Amino acid sequence: MDKPSHLSVVVDLSPSQWHLCGQSSNSHPLPLSAFLSQLLAFLNAHIACNDENTLSVYGALPGKSILLYSSATAVPEEFTGPADPNTYRPFEVLDSTMMNSISDRVEALTDLEQEPPIGLVGALTKSLCYINRMSNASSTSTAAGGVQGPVVLPDPRILVVSVSPDESSSYIPIMNSIFSAQKLKVTIDVCKLYGPESVFLQQAAHLTGGSYIYLERPDALLQYLTMAFLPPPAVRQLLSVPTQDKVDFRAACFCHKNIVDIGFVCSVCLSIFCQPVPVCSTCRTKFPIKTLQRLNASKPAAPAPRTPAPTPPATSLPRSQSIGTPRSSMGNGLVAPSPSRNGTSLPPR
Amino acid sequence: MPPRRTGNDYMDVDSDSDVSILDEFEQTTKAKAKGKGKAIDRSKPSKGKSKAKEQPYAWEASYTRSWDTVREDETGSLQGAVQDLIARGRRRRLLAPAAAIRRSIIRHLVLVLDLSTSMMDRDMRPTRFDLMLQYAREFVTEWFDQNPLGQIGVVGMRGGVGERIGEMSGNPQDVLKCISERHKLEPSGDPSLQNAIEMARSSMSHLPTHSSRELVIIFGSLTSCDPGNIHDTLEECVKDRIRISIVALAAEMKICRELCDKTGGMFGVAMNEGHFKDLLFELIPPPAQRALARTGGGGVSNPAADLMMMGFPTRLPNTSPPSLCVCHSQLKSEGFLCPRCLAKVCDVPTDCDICGLMIVSSPHLARSYHHLFPVKPYQPVTSLEETPYADSKCHACAAPFPSNPTQVPGTATEGMSLLGRYRCPDCHHVFCTDCDVFIHDVVHCCPGCGK
Ligand SMILES: [Zn+2]
Ligand SMILES: [Zn+2]
Ligand SMILES: [Zn+2]
Ligand SMILES: [Zn+2]
Ligand SMILES: [Zn+2]
Ligand SMILES: [Zn+2]
Repeated sequence: MDKPSHLSVVVDLSPSQWHLCGQSSNSHPLPLSAFLSQLLAFLNAHIACNDENTLSVYGALPGKSILLYSSATAVPEEFTGPADPNTYRPFEVLDSTMMNSISDRVEALTDLEQEPPIGLVGALTKSLCYINRMSNASSTSTAAGGVQGPVVLPDPRILVVSVSPDESSSYIPIMNSIFSAQKLKVTIDVCKLYGPESVFLQQAAHLTGGSYIYLERPDALLQYLTMAFLPPPAVRQLLSVPTQDKVDFRAACFCHKNIVDIGFVCSVCLSIFCQPVPVCSTCRTKFPIKTLQRLNASKPAAPAPRTPAPTPPATSLPRSQSIGTPRSSMGNGLVAPSPSRNGTSLPPR
Repeated sequence: MPPRRTGNDYMDVDSDSDVSILDEFEQTTKAKAKGKGKAIDRSKPSKGKSKAKEQPYAWEASYTRSWDTVREDETGSLQGAVQDLIARGRRRRLLAPAAAIRRSIIRHLVLVLDLSTSMMDRDMRPTRFDLMLQYAREFVTEWFDQNPLGQIGVVGMRGGVGERIGEMSGNPQDVLKCISERHKLEPSGDPSLQNAIEMARSSMSHLPTHSSRELVIIFGSLTSCDPGNIHDTLEECVKDRIRISIVALAAEMKICRELCDKTGGMFGVAMNEGHFKDLLFELIPPPAQRALARTGGGGVSNPAADLMMMGFPTRLPNTSPPSLCVCHSQLKSEGFLCPRCLAKVCDVPTDCDICGLMIVSSPHLARSYHHLFPVKPYQPVTSLEETPYADSKCHACAAPFPSNPTQVPGTATEGMSLLGRYRCPDCHHVFCTDCDVFIHDVVHCCPGCGK
């Protein structure tokens, strides 16, 4: 690890999901406090790897997203006094800045009956803007605005630590973020701690060349983080980092925000619908009656609960065409069994 | 680049409000065209005639061009001038109308390249031919980026006949490969517009009705040797609804202008290298669909529109146990599973060989969604009092705002904020200039609103 690298971490801080994740009825519970201490150890390791490594941490809270820590901002006042001789100064600054901003935000959360969806999109786009500015600043080599970051920004990457299920209304913004990450050559890694597999984050990791790892043992988080996510992508090619098993390319329909595997697509604007509609709600194009009748006839029967039929048996004719296609995860043992592909939507949480 | 130019002709049918925006926009564009370094003719080619005089033709241009327009500021630095130029160009781009325009995004295009001896002229450096190949490659790459489900075929004109260089393909690599081998495309003989158009027309005749058909001709010659009456060919193209756009490298020919005008395409004569590229690249954004008059109910009946059933597959990694694919019957690890019948195919987009379902990768579709839901333009913040979030930092990148306004003369009139702050009209968060441009050009998603 000779070259400095930039890491942006997006931490999912959904209170209800963390409550569920920490419940002792889980086989391997991971309470928020344990999670934070493991995460801090990982972040410390990142800045310790190279003096010039940069770091920014975003929190995705219900309905908003905030910057928790950034190595580009000046060291706050309270750390200018005499240091604790037993701690390394940068660690101390990082840890207390993070913890202070998290506790501030968590206390400010109101006890709402209905928790608004977490601001994952906001956190993702903010980290992209941050990386964009860092790369701009380095390309013009003008350290404008007191940015004390490094001059070059190689291998920027974003690590998303997620516990919440997919928010299907954020399908388009997430896809847009993925494409801009591709343009900026940013790698998106995903560490899924809890909850159902995330279709969108799987696609994000796949399309940007990152790793998507679903933790079988959330309580062993630190080990996963240091083994898989600490080395920058360039180094990772030489290591045997667990790769993604399957990528689920399902999309969210525009009408009900269901996640569908077979959709009806408007030929004019490419909007996706979960059932044949007479008029496109996006571009207001009317579709021919003939098409509607044809599609209604050929539509997969009863879209809602399409028999949770057992997937593995290779009995049906088409199934036998793909001899021995794996239904369960293989190899590395790090990937959790994926939910049945036959369900049309993710299990409700 | 947003397709503000291509859409003009059809957008006024859409709504009256668009018209005023566009008129105003066109005026500002003209007023500012002088400030641009390159000779870019943004106005209609016909109107642009008078302006063309101010800009150098390729053969009379001196070597200094791009740095002509840059002036030093008081401190003798060029930095400010350059950045101002870039910022202005970018901000103007943001003034394009925010309304979603109907586009026929499943496009089919035949690129017709002139391979006649006139392409060896050196008025464009190094030669017209080499420049054309270079720009054609860039064009293809960019075109596929913006039209992910489209297909491109390539036809050449030389020796008095049309020559099929590349079949219609949706894979950018295939198309790039067929125009990458320079020695196979060596110019010779005379071009034939009619033969080439007929060849292109026949290669698009089988296409389904909902796809758009376009022809882009790069034409360097001043003659065309045709076997028959080219006006008959033109009639056929109008009937088949093929748009013909021509970028001429030599001069305007009446037949070329007519081909474009009658089919609803664009015609332009390139004055120099930069202008050539601009003309070509203006053809990349999807053309606004010929909007039919809006009926009272708000619905639009469009005979070319259709609803298509598509499946979104699961991708298998190359670590999965090998199995036979249904398309080639080969033993392979990686592949895509049809969501309906679970057959394994090698590549998407394709039609499933077993159940006939059209299988596309959903990210392919999603690439074009920012056209449908653009981010509203941010408003420049002119005074510090009016903002509810009086942050000292950019909401997106957390860069501190400059405390004292940078006084650049003349910028305030062009939608630039003297304070370097821009506010989202929906979430009222404030962003810096860099992020403003980045969000509208690349991310297409406001970090404050999260959509
Ligand atoms: Zn729906
Ligand atoms: Zn539509
Ligand atoms: Zn195959
Ligand atoms: Zn199938
Ligand atoms: Zn910013
Ligand atoms: Zn906003």
